[in-house]
Amino acid sequence: MTGKQKSTTVKVQQEKAFLRFDVGQRWEHLILFLSATVLMLTGLPQKYREFSWSQDLLSTPERMDMIRQIHHIAAIILALEAIYHLGRIIYQITRRKLPGDLLPTWQDVRDAGHMLQYLLFMRSDKPKFGRYNFEQKVTYWVVFFGFGIMGISGFIIWFPVEFTQFLPGGVVPAAKMAHSTESIVAAVFILIWHIYHVHLERLNLSIFTGRLSETEMREFHTKEYERLVRNEKSVKTNNQES
Amino acid sequence: MTSRNRYHHKIGLIAAGALVLLLSILVTSPASAGKPAQETEKYCLQCHSDPNLKMTLPSGETLSLFISQDVLNHSIHSPLGIECEACHTDITTYPHPAISYQSKRELSRVYYKSCEKCHSANYEKTLDSMHASAATGGNLEAPVCTDCHGSHNVQKPDEPRTLISETCSKCHGQIVDTYKQSVHGMALISEDNKDVPVCTDCHGVHNIQDPRTIQFRVQSPELCAGCHANQDLMAKYGLSADVYSIYKRSWHGVDVSVYKARWPTIWHDSAVCTDCHGIHDIRKTTDPESKVNPKNLLQTCKQCHPTAGPNWADAWTGHNEISLERTPILYYVEVFYSSFTPFVLWVCVIYVILQIVRSIVDRVRRSMP
Repeated sequence: MTGKQKSTTVKVQQEKAFLRFDVGQRWEHLILFLSATVLMLTGLPQKYREFSWSQDLLSTPERMDMIRQIHHIAAIILALEAIYHLGRIIYQITRRKLPGDLLPTWQDVRDAGHMLQYLLFMRSDKPKFGRYNFEQKVTYWVVFFGFGIMGISGFIIWFPVEFTQFLPGGVVPAAKMAHSTESIVAAVFILIWHIYHVHLERLNLSIFTGRLSETEMREFHTKEYERLVRNEKSVKTNNQES
Repeated sequence: MTSRNRYHHKIGLIAAGALVLLLSILVTSPASAGKPAQETEKYCLQCHSDPNLKMTLPSGETLSLFISQDVLNHSIHSPLGIECEACHTDITTYPHPAISYQSKRELSRVYYKSCEKCHSANYEKTLDSMHASAATGGNLEAPVCTDCHGSHNVQKPDEPRTLISETCSKCHGQIVDTYKQSVHGMALISEDNKDVPVCTDCHGVHNIQDPRTIQFRVQSPELCAGCHANQDLMAKYGLSADVYSIYKRSWHGVDVSVYKARWPTIWHDSAVCTDCHGIHDIRKTTDPESKVNPKNLLQTCKQCHPTAGPNWADAWTGHNEISLERTPILYYVEVFYSSFTPFVLWVCVIYVILQIVRSIVDRVRRSMP
């Protein structure tokens, strides 16, 4: 880039985009989002069968069966997505390619403490985050284990006779309670925690577009941004040296 | 017969006729039956006290026309002054009008209608009963009032209480035999227990309904709950009165309650009390022959869950609250969620509120010069 060219483009702000989620991850989120929404909507009237609003929705035994079937189909889709997700992780581990950005570290605990101090007006600066901040890690792991519990308990109460061939009978009522309760925990968590962070705090559509702007990177993932810029420089200098 | 005698006879007949008229007005309510006036009974028994008095009906049956004064005296009606013609309204004099009944059964089915005059409420109830619809369907053996209550020998139907099951056993003998072996029946017979149900407590009295219908099935848990959710009554026998409320929260119970509320005319397979405990053969759960005795429970489950394995019966928590001893897995799940659910909720709410407050304060500060 020469100085002359720069002067001609001075009014166009070059916003560099950073790839945050690859196509596969974006599809995964979309499938997760859609199937979980369907599961939640078809699960609620089943959980609250004794209430009249639920009975209005269910209206006939055939419709109740239909809602159950939709729930089961969505469950299979989400289960396949979970298998793909775990398969990809295992593949990456065997190839020593798992990025590990999502694994919880002590830094996350320090960040959370720092954040709490900031929120309580005890500090004026926000913590600087890497590729995934502790809020996003919490989101991932709560969903990971929450949906894990939902999936396991869901299949147990879908096939109780089959599961008790090798598991104690007590798992059936336990799975029923876990499925019923965890669904509310997961729904509350996503509706409050996740929706706030991606819609209200700032509109973050990177899970759909795959990209974050340079400004967003600098502000919300400072450490990651600095690392990438450093890498770019070193690559450049390496290239120049060679 | 002298003319004087004839005169007396006439006076007697007129008096009898007047009495009949008077009675037919008075007996319309039992309260009017206060004054004993046995003259007409005496009058009828002049002939009908003959044990050999009988006639042959067109069906070939021999109809005994003998009425024992002793039986009448021990019935509930006669001592109250409710007499022959109160029921035999078509016979007001001698010679009697010719009778048109072909058989004894036809006679019963015509005469029982007299009961309506005094007992109209109960009579009308019988018209909606299973027995009445069986008769409409062509079964003339279906019982009418007199089949259960008797005719000339009407007694209080529930004294002693065992009399009720004896009455039903005239036709439903096998079921009553089974009932007698049940926990309810044994208590009734051996100790004349006043709390256990007899036939009519579950089936109703005059308007007995078909217990095999969908409506009966879907309402049957409430029937059992009538006694088994009664704290005082259950405490007397050391039984839990929570069995019904816990059942209602179970998978079976919720299912049944939805059907009851919305689809009472559609068959459902979810278990009601009787599916597991039995109907007339209900026994104590500790009785080795009970369908829900731990030894037999799996077999009972298999009625609906035929492919269930040996662990299956433990999936049923029984009519018990969650406890560490009985349902440890469920217990730990409940303990976990009783703290995890509020924890997640409060962390989310507090954290997000703090963030909102802080971001608003930041924005206000920035906007200020």
